[in-house]
Amino acid sequence: MPGPVAAPRATLFKKYFRTLFAAVVAPLFIAGASEAWFGYHDQRARLNDLLAAEARLAAARIADFIDGIRDQMGWTVQLPWSETPGNRRRLDALRLLRQVPAIESLSLVDPAGRERLFVSRIGLNRVEGGDDLSATPAVVGARAHRVWFGPVAFQNGSEPFMTIALSGNRAADGVVIAEVNLKFIWDVISDIRVGRTGEAFVLDQPGRLVAHPDISLVLRADESAHKPLQALRAAILAQSGQAAAGRDIAGDRVLAAMASIPGVGWSVIVEQPVAEAFEPIYAALWRTAALLVAGAALAAALAYWLTRRMIEPIRVLEDGVTRIGAGQFDHRISLTTSDEFERLATRFNEMAGELALSQERSERIGRLKRFLAPQVAELIDRTGDDRVLDGRRVDVVVIFCDLRDFTAFSARAEAETVIGVLREYHDALERAVSAHEATLINFFGDGVMVLVNAPVSCSDPALRAIDLANDMQRSVQSLLIGWRALDSRLGFGVGLAMGPATVGQIGSEGRLHYTAIGNVVNLASRLCASAQDGEVLIDRVAAREVASRVPLVELDPLALKGFDAPVPVFAAAGDGKAGG
Amino acid sequence: MRFVSRGSAGAAAGLRRRDLVALAGGAAAWTVTADAQALPVIGYLGSESPQQYESRLVAFREGLAQVGYAEGRNVAIEFRWAEGRYRELPALARELASRQVTAMVAAGGAEVALAAKAATATIPTVFEMGGDPIALGVVDSLSRPGGNLTGVSSLSVEVSRKRLEFMREVRPGSKVFAVAINPASPTSSSQLSNLRVAAESLGVKLAVLKASSEPEFDSMFAAAHDLGTGGLVFSSDPYFAYRSQQLAALAVRHGVPAMTQSRDFPLAGGLMSYGGDFSQTHRNAGIYAGRILKGEKPANLPVQRVTKVELFINVKAADELGLAFPSSLLGSADRVIE
Repeated sequence: MPGPVAAPRATLFKKYFRTLFAAVVAPLFIAGASEAWFGYHDQRARLNDLLAAEARLAAARIADFIDGIRDQMGWTVQLPWSETPGNRRRLDALRLLRQVPAIESLSLVDPAGRERLFVSRIGLNRVEGGDDLSATPAVVGARAHRVWFGPVAFQNGSEPFMTIALSGNRAADGVVIAEVNLKFIWDVISDIRVGRTGEAFVLDQPGRLVAHPDISLVLRADESAHKPLQALRAAILAQSGQAAAGRDIAGDRVLAAMASIPGVGWSVIVEQPVAEAFEPIYAALWRTAALLVAGAALAAALAYWLTRRMIEPIRVLEDGVTRIGAGQFDHRISLTTSDEFERLATRFNEMAGELALSQERSERIGRLKRFLAPQVAELIDRTGDDRVLDGRRVDVVVIFCDLRDFTAFSARAEAETVIGVLREYHDALERAVSAHEATLINFFGDGVMVLVNAPVSCSDPALRAIDLANDMQRSVQSLLIGWRALDSRLGFGVGLAMGPATVGQIGSEGRLHYTAIGNVVNLASRLCASAQDGEVLIDRVAAREVASRVPLVELDPLALKGFDAPVPVFAAAGDGKAGG
Repeated sequence: MRFVSRGSAGAAAGLRRRDLVALAGGAAAWTVTADAQALPVIGYLGSESPQQYESRLVAFREGLAQVGYAEGRNVAIEFRWAEGRYRELPALARELASRQVTAMVAAGGAEVALAAKAATATIPTVFEMGGDPIALGVVDSLSRPGGNLTGVSSLSVEVSRKRLEFMREVRPGSKVFAVAINPASPTSSSQLSNLRVAAESLGVKLAVLKASSEPEFDSMFAAAHDLGTGGLVFSSDPYFAYRSQQLAALAVRHGVPAMTQSRDFPLAGGLMSYGGDFSQTHRNAGIYAGRILKGEKPANLPVQRVTKVELFINVKAADELGLAFPSSLLGSADRVIE
């Protein structure tokens, strides 16, 4: 029993738990996932803006560096050239070198394109060198565009230098040409920090590394090693200027944005390790995940608690029903949930009460059926009153009957035959008793005692008893026809007497019997003993009761044991053997 | 550059810190053996004594610190000093190489670098020197040194001719200038030829004076004075540079206007100096040594050239010599000592 019951209970628990859990967790997850998704996109957009701003800022700082040099150079081309160079211009040039450490050397060119002055940190200074520089790209470029930036050149294949040429407002002011050591951009570039560890670098137009916080990368001047950086620039250009993901020179994944410096045509690229750039996103995702897990745990706890609350009354109900089913009708299911469960429990309790009544009734019926005709028993049961079984004194008709020579037959015949004969005999008698609503008191071997008018009163008990006796005689006689083949001496006799008797249940607590006690019982027994096969002997009281409604034959009074005087006896005249 | 201003301030930052550093260096010397298994060891080869290298060591340790190394904490330094006897450098270098140090630092001139190069072809080595590392055969290429050496060049050798030019501006009337050459130096001949070319374009004559040991200094100054030269221009040489105090004293004693590569010279009372900023070069050497300890290959670290060549002038010394600096020098000097 517990096996098949336990399984469905577990399933119900799981079902409820899953449903409740899903009801809470599913919206939570949908909300969490959408928040993560949108958060990611917002953060990505913010990152784009941030990196773009950093790139613009870095580009502005490097442009400032170049513009600063250009502006300082402007001092040297503010006065028109005369034939004599003059000490003044030389001092200006030297002061410029002192002022701008990045300028390695400086050439001043007059309007005719001749070099008039050259000052250097490393080489010897030249005054009035007179070289014709008018055809050099620097002079041509400066004259055409006022400012000219040369390509980046790597001195000795290592150190990046750039020529800047600047012409004065008027052609008479000449041109100044400066060799600029680009290693000085390191001061600017190494100062730029993007986020915590992000950095910036500069590529020139052809994609050579001009500036990087690791100066040795620049000095290596190894174009193939700078391929990743060029690829990064290409990736950003492919994204039309948006920040792009790629790999830096060390192969780490970075997010990079770019801004260009007009004039020199350089690209300033800022990069931040992807891990760092996305750190806030990852942090937010982790936070969301943690909240989801916490939410799921809470939902699980809640679902468990709710499921337990729902399942508990069901379990109590089930337990109660099991007990009631097992016959504990006094068990009551106690539930105070003030809901359908409590109503259901009340119903079950009512049902148990009814079952108890019903069982009591069927027990009583079983008891009554043993000695009452089933319909009589039902009747008593319907009235719900078994006080009819109480002891009292009442006028009854007692019928005794038995088989003649049965004891001898039972000694001779096989046991199975004896039992078979008895079963047929008892069945026939019981049918007759039932048909007449009489009370079968007892079988004792082949002897049978029947009571009429007790415990249930009936109309005209004497007549009923005589009819019953006749029926019994008829039934048994028809059986006897078959049995005589077994033993020709078998016969059947009936005695019947009417009179007051004490009726009620006697016996010990466990073995109660309904019976009648009184003289009339003795009389009926004696009459039975005296009756011949096929004879129904009736006492005077019964005979008087039926008067002429049943044909009776008065026989000679019989002297019966226990009776002082001979007793008047009547025989039913219904059967062929009557009077024989 | 940023660190230059810090470095020059450091020169006057007081002796107390240097003393502490020297003490720390001394303490490290005997803990080296105990911690040798745990800490990487830098073998430091110097041509002079720790006292003369003090300011250079400060810069070197700053460079190491910049890449996260501190002596005694995560790196040990084993020093070998030639104490001015440059002939002993190769033996000292071999000694360091035989101790299988993690990296070697050969600071303070071409002699040291060449000694280190001869001692080992495997131990990563960082040099610090004034000459052209390619011309001296230390490395094959600046951008890709290729072997086990890389380092920093101070440009001091290249700018010897500028010293002659400055001296001529101070003494425009003189036609003859003395130049001091250390014949033992591997760069002496190239410097001398450079100086001769410069003298020609400047229209002056040179009196070449040679000295390769301290006792020869006095007679050199005497000769410069007696020959009636406009001044004594020192070629770039570590032996001279590390003896700036002595040279300054001699210049004052002999009343000779003189110019060396090291700022220590005008700071000690000499007239002026023009040369690469040694704080920067030694700091960069420290940075490279640190990066090599971190696993980078010297072959991938390009040789760096100093970005700052500094002019120091001492107005007081000029006054005592009865000279006046022209405004071109006053205007372009990085530091004027008064």
